[in-house]
Amino acid sequence: MSDRQRVESLVREADTYRSQGFLVAAKKKYMELLQLIQGHEKYSKNKKLINAVEGKIRSIEKEMSDVTKAEAKPQLSNETQDLIQKLFSFSKNREHATMEGAVALAKFGQYQKALTEFMRLMSEGILPLEAAKNILRCHLSLSPPEVALNQYKNWVSRDDFPPNDLKYLRRFLKNLLDKRGVKVEIPEIVERAGKAKRKKKAEEEVLDISSVGVPLNWGPLKGETVEFEVSFQSGNTISIIVPSDKTQLLDAFRPGVKLPDMQCYSLIAVFNGTGVVSGKSQITSGPKKGDYTLDITISGD
Amino acid sequence: MAIFNAKDRVIECKLVYYGPGRGGKTSNLEYIYKAGKKYAMSDMVSINTKGDRTLFFDFLPIGLGKIRGCDVKVQLYTVPGQQKYSSTRKLVLKYVDGIVFVADSLEIRRKANVLSLKDLQQNLAAQGEDVFKIPLVMQFNKRDLGDKDIPIMPVDLMTRDLNSKLNAPVFEASALKGTGVAETLKKCLVITLQNLQKELKWTE
Ligand SMILES: Nc1nc2c(ncn2[C@@H]2O[C@H](COP(=O)(O)OP(=O)(O)OP(=O)(O)O)[C@@H](O)[C@H]2O)c(=O)[nH]1
Ligand SMILES: [Mg+2]
Repeated sequence: MSDRQRVESLVREADTYRSQGFLVAAKKKYMELLQLIQGHEKYSKNKKLINAVEGKIRSIEKEMSDVTKAEAKPQLSNETQDLIQKLFSFSKNREHATMEGAVALAKFGQYQKALTEFMRLMSEGILPLEAAKNILRCHLSLSPPEVALNQYKNWVSRDDFPPNDLKYLRRFLKNLLDKRGVKVEIPEIVERAGKAKRKKKAEEEVLDISSVGVPLNWGPLKGETVEFEVSFQSGNTISIIVPSDKTQLLDAFRPGVKLPDMQCYSLIAVFNGTGVVSGKSQITSGPKKGDYTLDITISGD
Repeated sequence: MAIFNAKDRVIECKLVYYGPGRGGKTSNLEYIYKAGKKYAMSDMVSINTKGDRTLFFDFLPIGLGKIRGCDVKVQLYTVPGQQKYSSTRKLVLKYVDGIVFVADSLEIRRKANVLSLKDLQQNLAAQGEDVFKIPLVMQFNKRDLGDKDIPIMPVDLMTRDLNSKLNAPVFEASALKGTGVAETLKKCLVITLQNLQKELKWTE
């Protein structure tokens, strides 16, 4: 093989590897080429050639770093999310299938939509413990650990689960937090007798909030501040009611969404807080049937 | 995953293209979609990351029409070949009925082929399947690169590396040009449907 042929063959290989995405192999070939040229009697005088090869090496290095930096779990379109849900719900049993679809969404990094689904499953009483575990997982992927913790406290205070399930969820959450190296106190579950007292104390620590103002800094209603009466409060979680025809609002308040700069009005003070939508469910009976209850967990600023 | 609806006489099954990263799995599906438009039941869906690498999967549903009185629908998937996407591969492989293993003929991919086949074996085992029993077709892709003087492996060597124990049907292919793509798919469909016939007895 003549020197010229040798050069040509190296270029051919390097270019092919590069175009097929084998960047390490491509870089290796270009380096070989560079060495050959630099040590060559005639080619080593050809500055243009050397520059060109060096340029190729640099641009491959850039490509390599782009590939490693690529987002691991990008947000997918609604259509694709729906498709994933459909394709990965295998069970014949409808409830299990719905759960599988939601789990797949989470596995593919679509935590927001997955969270909405798990909340819905839970509110419909479908595999609630499984749903709860996944809700905690999603919260931890989307928000700071306090949100998952508050969610858990919320379940405790609302008697949503029997004590054994709560204990299980506590262990589960602790595990997740440990894995992330987060050190926080998770309240122990104390059986019935002691519970009423504990609950009262927790509630005393938070002021009674009568209404809230939420500035919307996203979505179609961006720039507006909406006011809500608080219909129910438990600890630092408030519930508000959103009529079913307020679709833009309902869309804006998806579970997991953060609400910075909320104004909280209580009888004795107005304070700013950061809230997180921690629950959303449709009211199934009574005069407000069809409307939605939103739970917002508030932390003082 | 195969579903046989005896009432409407519809059978649905799932084929997965497996193999090392950049080996040509997506190119296979793209060619099938392009050349077999009339079979496609919807557009092909690809979820990619940088450099057109598959991030989650490609999906292409095709309809084969009536075979022995049954409407046959097939879901074609590819997995992401890059090693780091192992958990996604497991998910996409769930309830698979037949596999096309796309091996890369490039010399520099010799080890990657072997590792990917091993990964397939393990992931199948984890869901209670056996790589020796599941319908599987082997494709040696990128044969065209040999004509361009790029070092590729001889078929003998690839057979020894990948297929000496499996003894799966082998096809040489160029997914880029389309050579061997239809043959690979057809063979995989035939052995998969034969296998399902034993299980589901859908022609009786
Ligand atoms: N010359 C040639 N190139 C091919 C052939 N098949 C695929 N390629 C090229 O190889 C590269 C990778 O092909 P893909 O089809 O994206 O490979 P893949 O197996 O889906 O890769 P991952 O999604 O990363 O697992 C692309 O640049 C294709 O154009 C072939 O038969 N011949
Ligand atoms: Mg691909």
